[in-house]
Amino acid sequence: MSSRRSRSRQSGNSRITEDQIADLVSKLQQLIPEIRNRRSDKQVSASKVLQETCNYIRSLHREVDDLSQRLSELLASSDTDSDQAAIIRSLLM
Amino acid sequence: MKTPSNSIKRRFALKFLRTLVRIRKSTHQPSPSQSSTWEIRRRAQRIKLAAYSSMARTVGSKRAWSRALTMKLRAAMGNRPWSMIKQESKKMTRRKLIAKRKRHMEKDLNSGVQELRRLVPGGQWMDPLSLMQETAHFLRCLETQVRVMRSIVAEGEGFPC
Repeated sequence: MSSRRSRSRQSGNSRITEDQIADLVSKLQQLIPEIRNRRSDKQVSASKVLQETCNYIRSLHREVDDLSQRLSELLASSDTDSDQAAIIRSLLM
Repeated sequence: MKTPSNSIKRRFALKFLRTLVRIRKSTHQPSPSQSSTWEIRRRAQRIKLAAYSSMARTVGSKRAWSRALTMKLRAAMGNRPWSMIKQESKKMTRRKLIAKRKRHMEKDLNSGVQELRRLVPGGQWMDPLSLMQETAHFLRCLETQVRVMRSIVAEGEGFPC
């Protein structure tokens, strides 16, 4: 994989073939829950996979935002340090 | 395609939790009513940065996306390591030229790939193959980050105060 990459960088006229991109896109496909869970015999188009990937990344960012807000509220409301210590201990076990 | 392992989850969780403890110590008010909505929002931003930075530090310099994210976060936090930026910009000029050539070749998948370049850190300078590989790794790490944050929140919200 890496040798292919360095070859294409050095020779300016070698194309990144559609096949190579399609192959990687299909591998990406497996990572997107939206597409993985959908039961379909049809091959999902590459542009659809890319679209879903972008949507998925954006939704993960939104969730990080929301979770950060909730964590901040938690840090504001809890009184004793012993609560935090218990949480941390249980998570690192 | 390389994907992150469980050790990344564990190392991220440790870093993130330590940072959370630090943030709490520096922002904790004696009585809860003193934490205004604005202060909570402000701390939420710090927590968010801490999450991304903890993950970037966990992955280290091994992936292009984590290197790009580290640089972006350092700029955001106002802490610029000038030596690193100079070094990176030399690599970037050559990569930008190559990326420009490659972009001319992308026609049909263009819009999807362009959008992905914006979302993946460092994506603007990657060739299409690397972009796909980096996206896969970035996605797995982002999922791990979210899962760990979810479980911390679940623990915290499960404790009645």
